[in-house]
Amino acid sequence: MLVYVVRRFAGMMIVMLLVAMVVFLIARVVPGDPAAVMLGSAATPEDIAALRGRLGLDEPLLTQFLLYLGQIVRFDLGESIFLNRPVSQALAERSELTALLTMMSVGIAMLIGVPIGILSAAKRGGLIDQTSVGLAMLAASVPSFWIGLTLIKYLAVDHAWFPVAGYGPPDADLMERMRHLVLPAIALGIPNSALILRFTRTSMLDVMSHDYVRTARAKGLPPLVVVLKHALRNAMIPILTVIGLTTAVMIAGAIVTETVFGLPGVGNLIVSAVLRRDYPVIQGALLVVSAIYVLINLTVDLLYAVVDPRVRY
Amino acid sequence: MTGITRRLFNTALGSAVAVGGLSTGFSAGILGSWTTPAQAQGAASVVTVATIGEPPTLDPVGTTSDLVSIITQHMFETLFTFDGDWKLAPLVASALPQVSADGKTYTIPLRSGVTFHDGSTVTADDVVASLDHWTKASPRGKTVAPLVESIAAKGADAVVIALKEPFAPLISLLAMNNGAAAIVPKSVIDGPGALKSLVGTGPYKLLEHKPDQYIRLVRHDGYVSPAGTPSGYAGSRKANIGEVRFVPVPNAATRVSGVLAGQYQFADSLPAETLPRIKGAAGVKPVIVKPFGFPLMIMNTKTGVMANQKLRQAVLAALEPNDMLLAGLGDPEFVQAEGSIYAQGTPFYDETSAKPYSDHAAGKAADLLKAAGYKGEPIRIMTSVQYEFLYKMSMVAQAQLEIAGFKVDLQVLDWATLLQRRGDDKGWDAFFTYHTFVPEPSLITVLNPSYPGWWDSPAKREALAAFNREMDPAARKAKWVTLQTLFYSEVPSVKVGEFYNLAASSDKLTGYTPTPWPFFWNTDLKG
Repeated sequence: MLVYVVRRFAGMMIVMLLVAMVVFLIARVVPGDPAAVMLGSAATPEDIAALRGRLGLDEPLLTQFLLYLGQIVRFDLGESIFLNRPVSQALAERSELTALLTMMSVGIAMLIGVPIGILSAAKRGGLIDQTSVGLAMLAASVPSFWIGLTLIKYLAVDHAWFPVAGYGPPDADLMERMRHLVLPAIALGIPNSALILRFTRTSMLDVMSHDYVRTARAKGLPPLVVVLKHALRNAMIPILTVIGLTTAVMIAGAIVTETVFGLPGVGNLIVSAVLRRDYPVIQGALLVVSAIYVLINLTVDLLYAVVDPRVRY
Repeated sequence: MTGITRRLFNTALGSAVAVGGLSTGFSAGILGSWTTPAQAQGAASVVTVATIGEPPTLDPVGTTSDLVSIITQHMFETLFTFDGDWKLAPLVASALPQVSADGKTYTIPLRSGVTFHDGSTVTADDVVASLDHWTKASPRGKTVAPLVESIAAKGADAVVIALKEPFAPLISLLAMNNGAAAIVPKSVIDGPGALKSLVGTGPYKLLEHKPDQYIRLVRHDGYVSPAGTPSGYAGSRKANIGEVRFVPVPNAATRVSGVLAGQYQFADSLPAETLPRIKGAAGVKPVIVKPFGFPLMIMNTKTGVMANQKLRQAVLAALEPNDMLLAGLGDPEFVQAEGSIYAQGTPFYDETSAKPYSDHAAGKAADLLKAAGYKGEPIRIMTSVQYEFLYKMSMVAQAQLEIAGFKVDLQVLDWATLLQRRGDDKGWDAFFTYHTFVPEPSLITVLNPSYPGWWDSPAKREALAAFNREMDPAARKAKWVTLQTLFYSEVPSVKVGEFYNLAASSDKLTGYTPTPWPFFWNTDLKG
């Protein structure tokens, strides 16, 4: 197990180096210039060239890349061009929101997806199954920004049960900040619950056609025990996989929802950095997000061993 | 992994990537992120203002971004400003300058006892250093720099600017709130770079800036206001509101919802189609800002096929501005097909010289195309979905130009790419942008020969120089008409028309004056 983890970490370093290279190159190859964005529409090409010089953007690409690599090995992600702070600080400031939002929305997605998925597999072809499969299709097809705007209209504007947008005033406590995340978590959770529901159902159906489940039934075990104890545990691996992936995607992929709800999360940090060509933030944020992706995948792989004793590393 | 797991894993990965990719693509068109709500906390009253996004900087000197000026004009002040009729008025200065008979020496008297946010008093030395910094760091100041002979203090309470030749727009340039000649302490100036700290003389000072969440400005207790009845940006200023909080809300629908729900007391730049919703809502009123701005199709007069003046005239004849305006903004209440660069009711309005704007006689475009010797070279037009109204206008323009016989290559780029590409004269033939209302014509970007488009014919150079030398207001108007006549014969750009800005304000917010750059001194919160 330990050897496996160490080997995975070594592999992770190589992945990170590749990510660093690819991200650096993509950011520079894409046209656009932070200096032009910063100076506004009346800036002349001479002004822009002067600012590029001050930002060090006129250095050869290789020099810039080597400087960047030198920073990374010292765990220094550099300084944002626009935000007047180190990239690591900008990321840290947004990590609470992103972590809370991810947990809340994955929680909602699991609470909806897993039980209904199990129920619909257990009652395959029945009314519950058909309704839930239909609703899941609908939930997966409706864009999250539409769900977001609809929730805002009914729950925040018409009835002031939740705030419209934002992450609370400057002195908001944790409860208040979480209250601001309820609607976005629902908007994100619903489409993802559909994915989890479908995977749970498929995986459960697959397992329930196995001989040992028939044996358990034949022994006269109560249906609930057969489904939850015998079938579910063995169906968990694909479900865990999809939950892990959903979590990973939400860290940087909640951009649309973050934009609709005006939330200063990691996804928005990346998108606004891309639009402004804030190279250090694009590079630093993508590097950290990729690291989290890899870590989540590793965690999911290790969890396989927990739910399935046959899996050995 | 077992076989089935791997297959499921791959499927899941596929859909996850698809979903991720889709959301990224979609939101790239919306622009950045963020927000925070209103609830007034503690003793100080708070006005929360939803803006279109996070400003690229809070330094008012180096950039001409409107979003930056909306925020920083509360913190920084210039020597002069504009009143409600767009006439010049003193701000940090105590009166308008005395100009020598040859138009080359400006003596600017300063108000005494004006304090910076750090408590120190503004001295003539600070003003000299600030003006000097402006000529090095501001895009506007840099246009003045070659004309400046010297900037020096005259005693403790006056500053003298000596010019090499008369330059009438000087005071207007000094009065602009973007690319601003902000008066700051000498100690915060750091060469041509950004200010070392954001210390000004304005009625509000910076308390806290959390990027993508909020910018908190609080009352500057030692503020010393100019005298006089408030009018536009001029006259006395009083910080009745304890805190003005600017919150970036890039999604326009969210800005509307937030102001309707009472989370924001003011929301800027709202979609025209939300006007009925705002009108029908209780506790909120719409604010329509006129004049606000004008969309421009800027053409490359330097290189490529558009360097041919006849061809540019053909473009002007082929375009139906009214269709473009309606496609872009939707509601006739927010647009006006106006060819005069300055709209009716402003000092520089002139109808006669703008006649070609509305001359779309059948066959005119075709005749001009023939006269230009156009051989079907593709016209590369750059546009961006980040400004949706411009994108829609460019699509209409494409259709109209194609009907007239042009071949159009419409390039849809993101805004940052467009800003970069337009610097290269070989890369494009036209692009769409818009210009916010500016009180002084010489500030219009298209007139600057180094602005992309590079309009710099000998006739225009001469007319602009004559306009800039003329000090007498009536004579300046006549010289402006000459420039506008050239604008319509040489057609460096097409002015599509006028468009207005929709904002919304809570009924609780009183004393608000609609302006292109909303400000919140002299406003109050009731209830």
